[in-house]
Amino acid sequence: MSTYDIAIVGGGPAGLAAAERTLAAGLSICVIDEQQRPGGQILRQPPATFSVPGWLGGAPYRKGRALLDRVSGDARLQWLGGRSVLGVMPDGEGFALTLSGTAGGIEQVRARRVLVAGGCYDMPVALPGWTLPGVMSAGAVQTLIKAQQVLPGQRIVLFGTHPLMIVLAQQIVEAGGEVAAVCFAQPFAAMARTALAHLPRALRTPGPLLAAAAGIMALRRAGVPVRYGAQALRCEGTDAVERIVFSNGESIACDVAAMCYGFLPQADLIRQIGAEVRWSDPAGGWEAIHDEAMRSTVPGLYVAGETTGVAGSDAAMAEGALAGVAIAQDAGALSAEEAAAAIRKPQAERQAMQGFIDLLRGVADPRPWLPEPEPETLLCRCEDISAGTVDRAIADALEVGPSFGASAIKLRCRAGMGLCQGRTCEHALVRRIASARGCREAEVTGFRPRFPARAVSVADLLEGAA
Amino acid sequence: MKEAGVKRVEQGVTRPAPVAVELDGAPVMAHPGETVAVAVLSTAPRFRDDRSGQARGMFCNMGTCSECTVWVARGDAPWRRLRGCLVPVEPGLRIRTERPEA
Repeated sequence: MSTYDIAIVGGGPAGLAAAERTLAAGLSICVIDEQQRPGGQILRQPPATFSVPGWLGGAPYRKGRALLDRVSGDARLQWLGGRSVLGVMPDGEGFALTLSGTAGGIEQVRARRVLVAGGCYDMPVALPGWTLPGVMSAGAVQTLIKAQQVLPGQRIVLFGTHPLMIVLAQQIVEAGGEVAAVCFAQPFAAMARTALAHLPRALRTPGPLLAAAAGIMALRRAGVPVRYGAQALRCEGTDAVERIVFSNGESIACDVAAMCYGFLPQADLIRQIGAEVRWSDPAGGWEAIHDEAMRSTVPGLYVAGETTGVAGSDAAMAEGALAGVAIAQDAGALSAEEAAAAIRKPQAERQAMQGFIDLLRGVADPRPWLPEPEPETLLCRCEDISAGTVDRAIADALEVGPSFGASAIKLRCRAGMGLCQGRTCEHALVRRIASARGCREAEVTGFRPRFPARAVSVADLLEGAA
Repeated sequence: MKEAGVKRVEQGVTRPAPVAVELDGAPVMAHPGETVAVAVLSTAPRFRDDRSGQARGMFCNMGTCSECTVWVARGDAPWRRLRGCLVPVEPGLRIRTERPEA
């Protein structure tokens, strides 16, 4: 079994930035990712068999693409793509990572240190009709366009609260698709008020604000309707989604309805190892707690990027660089003076961005605008457990006592027991439990995270153990 | 069953020649490098039926939700349940949206 100085989980901006710093310090590293090629979701590359000369040519991607080119061209990089990390276990002086191929097969790698840069995923929001084919996450549509160069439908509606919808709508239009409408649940005045309050600090990094303004203008020129105060109520259709109905009574015909209410940190692995996490406001989910050098609360385990709280790819790159320097220093490959000099730039960059990050979090805050599922709407998509069943389980648990968490509800009704390991419904359970208990989400314990973090065949595990 | 609305972007994209894969017993053309999920989507948005018999589609396209899990067999290898969004097609790949006969 190979032993690396550092195993990096996640080949997106954070993981690649850390890879660059640790390679420069002479450490042996591997980068593990479920995708075949590096880049993460933000820079999700087309298959190597495709040629797409104009791929992600826009200014917001420039810095990340330059990093991607530098690191993926480094012959010392051991790229372990097409592999999921099922678990990270303490092993002697370091960690043992169990990997499964996305097309099958098990392997293990050992590493003295581990960086989890797992990224984030779209918050799955249960509304009536959301299990109809054609209702998907905005990230699904975006990655289909970026990587597969495919539009999933002929008439796409975007709905939610996150300004990423502006970027995605542009990408759909540029790919030759039709955006029937972009529907922000929040009124324009509320967005503008929040943005203005954050504007002075956000202007320290004006790039993303200018890109957003240019995006809105481009959509106007393309004739894409952008609505504000349009709260999605339900998706309707027979075998697939045919329309989406809004609070103002408007019904918009579509064959794809893509939701965009924010993003949850990928936190399975850090929780499985026992690193401390906290509820991640405003969108929810769990973010890793870390020190200034991106060390988690578990010795030898580092975290960077969206796993520490969703803040965008520029922040992820800065945090990845900080983590890489700390790892190199802790491994004895950099002196304290060298490390102090190396963190100055990424630390200053990360601090300068905080104003924009706070602005975006404030503007995109989904909490006042989340649609309500009906009692028969499925909350747990894997096990087909409805909101009504979950609410009854919560009411039953309340009769026993007030201090139960998500696992108690899972035991009562199977919500969260399916293939996705609870990634889809956990945040919804936590919100409903908090509401029933009259407490904050942060006070509710989530599911007990367990091996394997991704579904795997028992035959593969047995073979891997033999 | 509803017609698929999937459209491959042609402008500025060069793909290798398509190969035949098998989806629920019928041939489907897909370009090497495309995912199993795209091969399924190119015929219909349905990936499976749930316990109440309702059609279900893909959701996240990033390996997180498992909604695109289908049965896949390469050559003579046994059927496996895999996340379709993470597995590239190859010639002769067989895909089932329902549990295959043993």
